[in-house]
Amino acid sequence: MRRRTFLRTAGVGSVVALAGCAGDGDQNGTPSDTQQDGTSGDGPQNGTTTTGNRERTLTVATYSSFTGDDTAGNYLKSAFEDERDGVTVEFEVPENGLNQYILQKQQGSNVSADMYVGLNTAELVRAEDGLDAELFLDSRGELDRADAIKPDLEIDPEGRAVTYDTGYITLVYDEDEVDPPATFDELLEPAYEDALITQNAQQSDPGRAFLLWTIADQGEDEYLDYWQGLLDNGVRILSDWEPAYNAYLDGSAPMVVSYSTDQVYYHGPDVDMSRHQVGFIEDQGYANPEAMARFADTDTADLALEFMDFVLQPEQQAEIAVRNVQFPAVEDADPGEEFSEYAYEPPEPVTHTYDELQGKVDEWIEQWARQIAGP
Amino acid sequence: MTADRTVSRALQRAALPVGVAATIAVLLVVFYYPVGNVLASAVRDGGHFTSAPIRAVLTDPFYTGVAHHLFADPLGVPAGVVDWTGAGFPSVRLGLFGFTAYQALLSTVASVLLGLPGAYVLARYDFRGRRTITSLTLVPFVLPSILVAVGFRAMFSRRGVANDLLGAVGLGPVELLGTLQIVVLAHAFYNAPLVTRLVTTAWEGVDRRQVESARSLGASRIRAFSDVVLPALAPAILTGAVLTFVFTFMSFPIVLTLGGLDLATVEVWIYARVQSLALREAATLATLETVLSLAFIYVYLRYENRQVTTRRGGQSLPRERLVAGWRSLFDPRRLAIAGYVAIVAVVIVGPLVSLLVESVTDPSGSFTTAYYEFLLARQSSGAVGTVRPLPAVINSLVFGAGTLLLAIPMGVVVAVAATRGGRGSRIAEAILTAPLAVSGIVVGIGLLLTFVFGTTVAGHRLVVTGPVAIVFAHAAAAYPFVTRNVAPALGGLDPRLREVARSLGATRLRALLEVELPVIAPALLAGAAFAFAISIGEFDSTVLLAEGVDSYTMPVALERYIGTRSLGPNLGPATAMGTVLLAVTAVSFVVIDRLGGRWEP
Repeated sequence: MRRRTFLRTAGVGSVVALAGCAGDGDQNGTPSDTQQDGTSGDGPQNGTTTTGNRERTLTVATYSSFTGDDTAGNYLKSAFEDERDGVTVEFEVPENGLNQYILQKQQGSNVSADMYVGLNTAELVRAEDGLDAELFLDSRGELDRADAIKPDLEIDPEGRAVTYDTGYITLVYDEDEVDPPATFDELLEPAYEDALITQNAQQSDPGRAFLLWTIADQGEDEYLDYWQGLLDNGVRILSDWEPAYNAYLDGSAPMVVSYSTDQVYYHGPDVDMSRHQVGFIEDQGYANPEAMARFADTDTADLALEFMDFVLQPEQQAEIAVRNVQFPAVEDADPGEEFSEYAYEPPEPVTHTYDELQGKVDEWIEQWARQIAGP
Repeated sequence: MTADRTVSRALQRAALPVGVAATIAVLLVVFYYPVGNVLASAVRDGGHFTSAPIRAVLTDPFYTGVAHHLFADPLGVPAGVVDWTGAGFPSVRLGLFGFTAYQALLSTVASVLLGLPGAYVLARYDFRGRRTITSLTLVPFVLPSILVAVGFRAMFSRRGVANDLLGAVGLGPVELLGTLQIVVLAHAFYNAPLVTRLVTTAWEGVDRRQVESARSLGASRIRAFSDVVLPALAPAILTGAVLTFVFTFMSFPIVLTLGGLDLATVEVWIYARVQSLALREAATLATLETVLSLAFIYVYLRYENRQVTTRRGGQSLPRERLVAGWRSLFDPRRLAIAGYVAIVAVVIVGPLVSLLVESVTDPSGSFTTAYYEFLLARQSSGAVGTVRPLPAVINSLVFGAGTLLLAIPMGVVVAVAATRGGRGSRIAEAILTAPLAVSGIVVGIGLLLTFVFGTTVAGHRLVVTGPVAIVFAHAAAAYPFVTRNVAPALGGLDPRLREVARSLGATRLRALLEVELPVIAPALLAGAAFAFAISIGEFDSTVLLAEGVDSYTMPVALERYIGTRSLGPNLGPATAMGTVLLAVTAVSFVVIDRLGGRWEP
């Protein structure tokens, strides 16, 4: 019974307890029989059977802000290792994300990680379109917790990528400067001249999500005309979320494309909340689910599957939500009062399915970029 | 005894050819092979040569604008020109390449205009801190673009300092963000100091006796300047202009973070193609970009070679005191300098100071030390995946020192080979300068596909990553700057200096080390500072070659801090790390100058 201490982020009051998963490393992980209601600080039920002291390492590839102090990644690592003897979780953080592994596969080298955490639908499409071989294993059918995932958030009809959290892309606006637009067409009106900053869809997640949202709303034949209208009305497209958001904070425009969890960061006694209002155009927000998948080349397929089931447990889901500032993917997770108070879910989430994006998404983005840059 | 002498002379004789061979070997491994591997896919298709991808780009009006007629329908061009003339010369479509060149040209003009007066002040006036300021000229050069964007937003956004100043005199507010103007200003921020540094070095190399002779023979000050000083400065000014043009032609992050996608450059497209794994298209664009840059460099080298200015390495021109008591207030030249200093304060010093201010200011605008505490917390944290600041500083300095050790000999060797001249040496030099002219993104992806993933050499799987690979990559990127600083100075030396040394029995190497290099020490120092700056600021290949978690540098650490979620969407930690980066580089530059200045073989 080891006592575990976690670095807690401020304001999350509940103490985490681990569900006693039967992580005994056998093929089809027996359904976890104990669902601790626990709010006790005790360690897990001794449901872990030592598997002859076998040292096993799970290499998880992810994006850089998922690891480091106080992150969801580090929390998952220590919690998962505490629950299982002889297991080590290691992170790989390649600069070019999933492309690193698609290229490795293309080159015929062995993929160097066991699984990837942080996939989105467009990346999954790119991996599929760019490779003859399968990059990922099917996982969904083998997971005990798969049915707990909200159906709207599933991104992969093939069951390779399994959603673990989601963000919603919305507008963040300054209520002292503008009223939020109710529809996309309103954004073309003089009232919103020079009022919007968004991100480059070629390289930025929220930028791509906003572009796809306009395609979902305007249709794939009209979206370029719509964007020409936005351009004529002075929309600005900066490289990434950070420059765009900070240009917004510096007063360059009264609205910016950002996340609906904006206020989770910006609330407190001396924060002016008028600049952190979340606006749902058409009462929608564009869902950008993040998923995990096992690489086909992994030699620890079972351990990776255990890890996926572990990530989908309610307690872990709550922790990930708070630390990653994203919404849980499962129905039965409670990320706590503070998160729920300041993170808004859109009345009507929209997103493109895998089938809708397949073979199209890169072309949409390229045409859009040519429209913007067309000198 | 004599046998020893003979051996050592033989070794010395072999030194330069060996140096050239070693330089080429290093370049082959860390540059030509990986880059060639990527660019080849632009013209090869399953083992056959193909011009289709290049043709597709050249005939696409999106890329080449009005020039696409030249490639699509060359015979129709004269008629097109006639029509265009008849229509009263309406504005033509530039295309992505045309627009990129256009903004690079504007940026070059702005950088030269902002940089030249600085060289005049530093070379011709004396004031407290002059040497330190000269050492610090390259500091802006090492700043990651994300921080330049922070400083520029603080200065030029709607609520920024510049608009406050304008407001005080009843003007404004001006919205500069998102315009071509701000991109040009930011490019000038990066490159004007480079022009200043190059020209100052050249100006200090002007022999005062030549100017005095001209004056004593009755030449006016202006005449003496235009006949004696200007020819000595011209190669340096043009070098600065060419480097600036090539850099800003390949500019990518700054264009998007301050300007926007409507100001996209070719490099933006290359990056997007690489992101969506359309490597053939990326290679095609990069090939055209490289060909253009190299052609440009080649034309310049031809020009530089024709400039023959012999200097004997005499004394520099005497310096005037910058502040001459109360009379300074009425001296038009000094007033002009004061005006220039004010402009520099806004465009160059302002963003740097803003960065320091940002690092101690919380989102609500009050003083905070939280970001430096964040750095300290990171330093003492044992958590997995934590990027710690101190190792980043040490790595940067170690890689920078390693780069100096490699890049200076490489750069000098190439400069010696270049100044010898001979047939085809311009082309050779242009090709040896290729690291300047190839997009960093392409170098990065080339390294990834060859050494980082492993390559097969003679049946052995070879993986090259880690500190040594990083230093090699930095040296390949940095040595052209040493060459560009040293070659003109070497070429301008009186050949009789070397001949005297040789006739007294010195080998070529000894003459170089003991006679020529000491005379051109300022140029060598400037080259060293450039090489160090390139190494410190390099990001693209470092981040790919940094193995695991132990060889991240200051810019890589900084980029990791931007993504930190524990402090929310906040650049504070990055600005604090950026301030550390600035302090470390500033001290390094001063040290390089002071130590190098004492170098007497």
